[in-house]
Amino acid sequence: MNKQSIISIPDDTIFKLKILAEEKESVRRKLVVTAEKLRLKAKQLAVTAEEKESVRRKLVITAEKLVATAKEKERVRRKFATTAKQLTITAREKESVRRKLAITAEQLRIKAKQLAVTAEEKENVRRKLVITAEKLVMTAKEKESVRRELVGTAKKLRLKAMQLAETAKEKESVRRKLAITAGKLKKSRETLERKVIERTKSLEMARAKEEAILLSIGDGLIATDEKGKIILINKTAEKLLEKESKNVMGKIFSETIHLEDEYGIPIPLAKHPVSMALLGNKISTKNVSEIIYHARKDKSRFPLSIMVTPVTLGKKVIGTIKVFRDITNEHQIDRAKTEFVSLASHQLRTPLSTVSWYTEMLLGGKIGELNEKQTKYLNEVYQGNQRMIDLVNALLDVSRLELGTFPIEPKQINIIKLIKSVIHEQGPQINSKKIAFSFLPEKVPIINADPKLVRMIVQNILSNSIKYTQAEGQVSISISSVDKKNVLFKVSDNGYGIPRNQQDKIFTKLFRADNVREKDTDGTGLGLYIVKSVVENSGGKIWFESTKEELGTRFFVTLPIKKIL
Amino acid sequence: MKKIQTKEKKTILVIEDERPLLEIVNEKLIEKGFGVITARSVDQVFNAMLDKNGLGVIAATNIKQALDYLENLEQVDAIWLDHNLIGKENGIDFVKKFKANGGLWNKIPIFVISNTESSETIKSYVNLGVSKYYVKSNHKLDAIIKDINNSLNPKTKRKTVRV
Repeated sequence: MNKQSIISIPDDTIFKLKILAEEKESVRRKLVVTAEKLRLKAKQLAVTAEEKESVRRKLVITAEKLVATAKEKERVRRKFATTAKQLTITAREKESVRRKLAITAEQLRIKAKQLAVTAEEKENVRRKLVITAEKLVMTAKEKESVRRELVGTAKKLRLKAMQLAETAKEKESVRRKLAITAGKLKKSRETLERKVIERTKSLEMARAKEEAILLSIGDGLIATDEKGKIILINKTAEKLLEKESKNVMGKIFSETIHLEDEYGIPIPLAKHPVSMALLGNKISTKNVSEIIYHARKDKSRFPLSIMVTPVTLGKKVIGTIKVFRDITNEHQIDRAKTEFVSLASHQLRTPLSTVSWYTEMLLGGKIGELNEKQTKYLNEVYQGNQRMIDLVNALLDVSRLELGTFPIEPKQINIIKLIKSVIHEQGPQINSKKIAFSFLPEKVPIINADPKLVRMIVQNILSNSIKYTQAEGQVSISISSVDKKNVLFKVSDNGYGIPRNQQDKIFTKLFRADNVREKDTDGTGLGLYIVKSVVENSGGKIWFESTKEELGTRFFVTLPIKKIL
Repeated sequence: MKKIQTKEKKTILVIEDERPLLEIVNEKLIEKGFGVITARSVDQVFNAMLDKNGLGVIAATNIKQALDYLENLEQVDAIWLDHNLIGKENGIDFVKKFKANGGLWNKIPIFVISNTESSETIKSYVNLGVSKYYVKSNHKLDAIIKDINNSLNPKTKRKTVRV
C-alpha cells in the first residue's frame, strides 16, 4: 500500500498536468505583473490625486486673493469717483470765476479806452489853444508892420506926384518928335509894298514857267498831297485819263485813276502804286510782275508804265509824284517776242514729238517683234531725238532769257525740300552709276524766289556732277546760310574735273570741255550759261573750283534770301 | 476713226491738229483698251459726235444745243486736248465753250498735251480748271496715257498741276 498506492498516472496526463502547471505559472506571473502595474497605477493615481489636491488648494487661495483684489479695486474705484466729482465741481467753480474775471477784464479795457479818448481830446483842445494864442501874437505883430508900411507909402506917393509933373512936360516934346517920324514911316511902307508886288510877279512868272514845263512833258504827271488828294495834273495825264483838271483837283487819286490787272480785276487800294508811295516806297512798274491797265470810259484799256516817287520833308512823306505813260507799243512788241518764242517752240517740237512717239511705239514691240539689231538702232534714233528735244528746250530758255521774256514768279520756298525732290528725280542715274551720295543740309531760312528757276539751278548742277563722275564715285550736296542775307548751295564730286585751260569758257553758250566729250557723255553745252544768267538775275553768284591738287569739281551758288525788288 | 463704245470701256475724246500725232495717239489708246473719238478742230468735236449719232452737222454757234443732245447719247470719260488746232479757235476757246455749258460736261477731266510752253497760256488753262498740262516732247506717250488711266481710276483727289 505505500509505493503501490501511488496512483499510476498515465504519461500524457502527466504531460497535460505539466502544461497546466506551466500555464498556471505563466498566468500567475502575468497576474503578478498586472498586480505590479496596478500598484504603480495606484501610486500614480495617488500622486495625481495629491497634485490635484494641491492645485485645488492653490486655486482656492488664488480665488480668495482675487476676491480680495476685487474688493480693493472697488474701494479704489469709489475713491476715484468721489475725487472725480470733486474735481468737476472745482472745474465748474473755476470756469465761473474765469468768466467773471473775463468780464471784469473787458470792463477794465473799455474804461481804459474811454480814458485814453478823453486824454486825447484834452490834448487836442490844449494844442488848439496854444495855436490860437500864437496866432493872436502874430496878428498883433503884423498890424504893427502894416502900420509902418502905410506911413512909408504915404511919403513915396508925395514924391511921385512931384515927378509926374515933370514927366508931363517931357512927354509933350516926345509926342511932337513922334509925329514927324510917323510921316517918314508911311513913305517907306509905300516903297516896300511896291517892291513886294514886283517880287511876287517875278516869282509867279518863274512858277508859271516851271508849271508850263511840267504840264507839257510827254508823260502823264500827277502830284498828290500827303493824303493822296490831287494837287497837280498835267495835260498828258488829262488826255490819257480822259479827265479835266478842274474835275480832279482836290479829289483822291483812286477816283481818277482806275487800275486793273491782266484779267480786268481792279487793283485793290492797298496795292495801288500811289498808296504804296504814300508809305514812303518808290514804286515802278518795271519791278512788278503784273501788267497794270487803265480802263477808259468806253471800257477799252491800255497798259501803263508807272513810276511813283514819295516827296519827303525830313522823314515825313508830304506827297507823291506819279509819272506814267501809255506803253501799248512796247507791250505789243513784247507780246510779239513772246509769241515768236512760243510759236518757234511749238513748230520745232511737233516733228520731234512725232519721231519720239512713233519710235516709242516701235520699241514697245506691239507693232511687230524686233530683233536685237533693230532694237539697238531704234534706241539710237530715240536717243538722238531726245538730244534734239533737250537742245530745243535749252535754246528756247536761252532765247527767252535774252529777250527778257523769262517769267519770274517769286514764292516762299523751303529750299531743303526742293533739293530733296531734285535728288529723288536723279535717283535712277545715281543708282545706275552706284554713286556714293550724301546731302548735308544745315538750317536755312525760307527764301523768296521762283521755285521753277531754283529747281533748274539745282537740277542742272547736280545732274552735271553725276554725269561727269565715274561709276562708284562720290557726289555730295550741302546747303547753308551765310551772313544772314544769302544761302550757299554747294555740290562737289570726285569726277572728271574741268581742265585748267578751258575753265574760262565753262559758262559760255554751247561750250563743252574736251574731257567730257571724250567720255561720250551727253550735253547741250547750254546748261551752265542758262544757270549763270538765272542766278545773276536773281541777285546771286555762281563759281566753281577744279584743281589738279583736289580731284573733281566743286560748284558754289549763292542766292539772296529776299528777292531784290 | 469712230469707234463704238461700251459701258466698261472708257472713252477718250482726242483733239489734236497734227495728223501723224493724232493717229499714233489713237492707236496707243486703242491698244490700251480705250474707246476713242477724234477731232482736229473745235467745230469737228461737236460735229463728230453729232454725226456719229446721225444728227448731222451743226455750226459752232449752236454748241449749247449740241451738248444738250449729246448729254444723253454719248459718254466721254476724258479729253485729250492740244492747244493749237485747225481753224480760228484754239484749245482755250474749246475749254471755255465746253465749261460754259455746265452740268455733266464740267466733270469730264481735260488733259492739255501741247508743245506750247508760254506761261500765260498755261496760266489760262490752269485758271479754267484743266486737270493737267503736259509739254508733249518732254514725255513718253506711254507715261501720259498711264497718268490718264490712273486719274480715271482715282485713289485720291488731285490738284491742277503743270508738268
